[in-house]
Amino acid sequence: MLRRTVTKLALSAPLLAATGRGALAQDASTISGGFDVGPGGMPGNFNPMTATAGFTWLSLYLEPLVIYDAKLEAVVGALASTYQVSPDQTAYTFRLADARWHDGQAFTSADVRFTIELAKNAASGSNFAARLAAITAVETPDAHTAVLKLSAPNAALLDTLTKVMMLPAHALSAIPTADLPRHAWWSTTPIGTGPFKFNRYVNGQYVALVANPDYRGGKPKVDRVVNRYFENTAGAVAALRSGEIQFSYVESDDVATFQNNPAFRIIEGNSYVVNYLGFNQEVPVWKDVRVRRAVMHAIDRAAIIKSLYGGAALPADCGYVSPALVPPGIDAYAHDPARAKALLAEAGWAQINGSKPITLLTYYNTPLAANVMAAIQAMLAEVGINVVPRIVDVPTYNSIVYAATPDWNSFAMVYAGLQNGPDPSIINIGLNEKQLPPAGANIMRVRMPKLTAAFDAALGETDGSKRAQRYQDVCRVMNADLPWGTLWVTSRYGVASTRLKDFTWIPAPAGGPYEAHPERWALAR
Amino acid sequence: MPRTLRYTARRLLAGAAMLLALSALVFLLLRAAPGDPVDAYVNPSVAMSPQDMAMLRERLGLDRPLPVQYFAWLRQAVTGDLGFSLQGTGEAVLPLVLSRLGPTMLLMASGLLLAIGLGIAGGVVGAVRRNGAADLSLSVIAFLGISSPAFLTALLGLYLFSVRLRIAPSGGMLTAGAAFSLTDLLAHLALPALLLSIGHTALIMRYTRASMLEVLNQDYVRTARAKGAREFSVIARHALRNALLPVVTLIGSTIGVAIGGAVFIESVFNWPGMGLLMVTAVRARDYPVIMGAALIIGGFVILLNLLTDLAYAVIDPRIKVG
Amino acid sequence: MAAPKRSAGPTRRALQRFVRNRAALAGLALLVPLLLLVASYPLWLSYGPNSVDLLARNAPPGMRHLLGTDGVGRDVLARLMQGGRTSLTVASLSVSISLAIGFLVGALAAFGGRWSDAASMRFVDLAMTLPPVILLLVLASITGTGLWPTVWVIALLSWPVLARMVRARLLEVRERDFVVAARGMGAGVFHLLFRHGLPNSVDILVVYATLQIANAILLEAGLSFLGLGIPPPEASWGNMMNAAQSTVVLEHYVWLWMCPGAALVLAVLAINFVGDGLRDAFDPRSGLN
Repeated sequence: MLRRTVTKLALSAPLLAATGRGALAQDASTISGGFDVGPGGMPGNFNPMTATAGFTWLSLYLEPLVIYDAKLEAVVGALASTYQVSPDQTAYTFRLADARWHDGQAFTSADVRFTIELAKNAASGSNFAARLAAITAVETPDAHTAVLKLSAPNAALLDTLTKVMMLPAHALSAIPTADLPRHAWWSTTPIGTGPFKFNRYVNGQYVALVANPDYRGGKPKVDRVVNRYFENTAGAVAALRSGEIQFSYVESDDVATFQNNPAFRIIEGNSYVVNYLGFNQEVPVWKDVRVRRAVMHAIDRAAIIKSLYGGAALPADCGYVSPALVPPGIDAYAHDPARAKALLAEAGWAQINGSKPITLLTYYNTPLAANVMAAIQAMLAEVGINVVPRIVDVPTYNSIVYAATPDWNSFAMVYAGLQNGPDPSIINIGLNEKQLPPAGANIMRVRMPKLTAAFDAALGETDGSKRAQRYQDVCRVMNADLPWGTLWVTSRYGVASTRLKDFTWIPAPAGGPYEAHPERWALAR
Repeated sequence: MPRTLRYTARRLLAGAAMLLALSALVFLLLRAAPGDPVDAYVNPSVAMSPQDMAMLRERLGLDRPLPVQYFAWLRQAVTGDLGFSLQGTGEAVLPLVLSRLGPTMLLMASGLLLAIGLGIAGGVVGAVRRNGAADLSLSVIAFLGISSPAFLTALLGLYLFSVRLRIAPSGGMLTAGAAFSLTDLLAHLALPALLLSIGHTALIMRYTRASMLEVLNQDYVRTARAKGAREFSVIARHALRNALLPVVTLIGSTIGVAIGGAVFIESVFNWPGMGLLMVTAVRARDYPVIMGAALIIGGFVILLNLLTDLAYAVIDPRIKVG
Repeated sequence: MAAPKRSAGPTRRALQRFVRNRAALAGLALLVPLLLLVASYPLWLSYGPNSVDLLARNAPPGMRHLLGTDGVGRDVLARLMQGGRTSLTVASLSVSISLAIGFLVGALAAFGGRWSDAASMRFVDLAMTLPPVILLLVLASITGTGLWPTVWVIALLSWPVLARMVRARLLEVRERDFVVAARGMGAGVFHLLFRHGLPNSVDILVVYATLQIANAILLEAGLSFLGLGIPPPEASWGNMMNAAQSTVVLEHYVWLWMCPGAALVLAVLAINFVGDGLRDAFDPRSGLN
């Protein structure tokens, strides 16, 4: 004991001298966190129109018209206090809340029109342009009412609108649209209507917000929120454990570090990303559905989920796992190597491919993903399918699967994920025949008329009460015809200090946004 | 000194040509890498249609022929405009890269200074107590330092000092959101600099030891000893000064490399230097940042080489330049 | 620095000096068994490096698995041995390639005449001006992951220094009588390179090779950390240590990173000792001590 103390002192002396004690002390009214760590984050990006993620942070100072509730089940009002959809679903009327921009000016329907028109305009760098294309006009009968007119019903419009952050017309209309994407305004003096105000961004290090005392939902409980950037999750975990930050996303294999520790609360949530083995339909080996079924039976999903994911994943028998979207009685593809071998023999696998290596391409490069790939490779090898994992970075992956003249064998099989919620229509882009590149992201070149018909029926369904039924049909077709070998939907984790009170965070895809009520977050002494 | 001036001018001109070649080489290397900035921007699990991606490429000018893109970049670069980063909110490259140069140099300089101090001391002890217990243990430590991968020592250091002992901050250069203070900076600097110095210390220690051993055998040292000079003064005054010459050359050669940053330490400790900038830029295929950084670092290396050569000529009149 | 004359004397003396160097011998005593173990492991180990056993994950070292198992129940000893094969293969291949490039460029510069000298030296300058960080990262993203790409990245990163050393040595050799005579008689570049260039720079090459092998093993480990290098499930010492990025592994499953770490340190240590011994043996000045 004595020796340990002595060593500790000896080691700490030079560092302590430099530390000067005060530097590590925490300010009671500042919440620090790694809000852009993990797949929901997009560090360094402050332009909500080019953001593909990072909405957890952006929604602390910017607000959309409508927002998901904190369970991601319903779309509720945010800057719009209420909204109505016309019976033919071509007019959306928003009653605006009585809100003020951070510079004191009133938020009005003119801002709504400005923002929607900007977001529709691809020249502004907006990646919502295609998704908002159905909007033909934004009418502003008075300062507190905005009406969106659509050329045709669009079931996904509200989902899209949750990500369209309202922007101040008076601050931005003077800037030429083409200069907007990289304008300094975003990272220096942006204003929103949210509970916190933008304060300071230090490149590569952190970004700080201060409380907006005039927030319509009440004055925030803390004075400041600081978002620290971490290149490496090990750094975020270290900062969390040493008490420097009070919150961060953590990888699932790091969660065990915080278990049974009273100082931390583990937040688990649905990733809304379905992981699958993609069968490239341009590669002849997957043509026979019996081969695809054999792959499903060969992989012991239950064992992988139990041991590698620590139970924190749901097996996916189609693109969805939510009970409302999965019809009863579909095939659960139990682990059955004998059945898999029989199916392969029936299909004539020895002639189709035999033991020739098949590339299994993935962009997942965490140590956990490497373990999953190793397990899948071993399980498939057991039934006689020889896959060779190839782990690449995201740009390389995209350049392979989106190539203008693709080399099919370089991605004969992929291990990938696609967002499947909260709006179930979102996986259409990866499976509908109409979404074959370049129109969409059907990178596995799935051409299955039954599946396309099922998706089209679901997308065209205007009766909200029947929509879930339609997606059950999609699920049934996916389960029977196996355009993908669907694997599982994993959980994602955040870890918060128990000093954080009334703190709401969920691992929403792209970071949300959702009703987090940051004005209520508080920090106990 | 017209001769020196002419030489300097010629070297500067050659340096400019070198930079031009460098930029072309980096450009070609970058375009040979699979995936472009748009491929890096699209998250595979939140799919985007190739049509939309094509639109983005058009907006960024990535659809133009390669020579056109290169000369467009070059035309801007000669006017001092290195373009904008393609990540985040698109900062201007020149100030971005320059803002990362300072932290990198601070980290490198402190790491190197620590290494020089520790390395020379260890090397002298090793040479004086040749094959003794101190020498052997120092040798083992030095070899351990040379043979440990930087990322592992960084991860271990982070875990030990920050998580377990809680005597060092877990990364960054300053406490986020706090006002600047020197003690704060030093607290954040101490651990990464210490870890960075491990490899250099080991190397300098080995070189100092070898060169000390040689010097200690020289006649003038023996003479000094024979004249009854105290051992300490022999070592400090006679031996060390001469032994350090090759060590100085070694240190000089590492400085050029050092400007590039320490990728592993910087990414584990989130030190906002060139190494961290490069890792994120390459991952995002951020062409303008990589080109700009290569140009600026290359320029520094060329200037440094020129200054070294000129300094040699000033110090040692026997060396003639030109 | 005088080059060794082409007689048996210096070589034998170098060998004698090497044999008398205790550190170098210790290095060899470490290295040879290590190489034998790595080469022969399928003969004495019943586990394969990629045989997954989800029921025996993260088992600590014990009787069944001498060095424990990893996150998917693979035997760490088997992966350590296979990883040794990979890492040492990558290291020796990349060093061979950079030796070849470095020697050829250096020798061509020295023997090839004014223009080829200027051209190749400017090329070396260019390669050395290019920040190694950029070269490393960009090159690695071009070549992608895998054994050969990693070999090429490491090789292309390390040849310029050698080229300079070889050139410096051979410029001196070029002016010696027998080389001048050979050139006068119209000997081809090939003859000059391999009859006069190679024997006269062999000491540089040997020392460089041993030191660079250690560097290459470290570089491979670093590439793995950045998600480049040798991708899993293929084992290499570098990607095995990469598991330490997970705090749980770093803290609780220490054998997962300590074993490859120790193997790497031992190998690098041994190669360094041998390399130092070779340098001392070839360096005529060390005879004074």
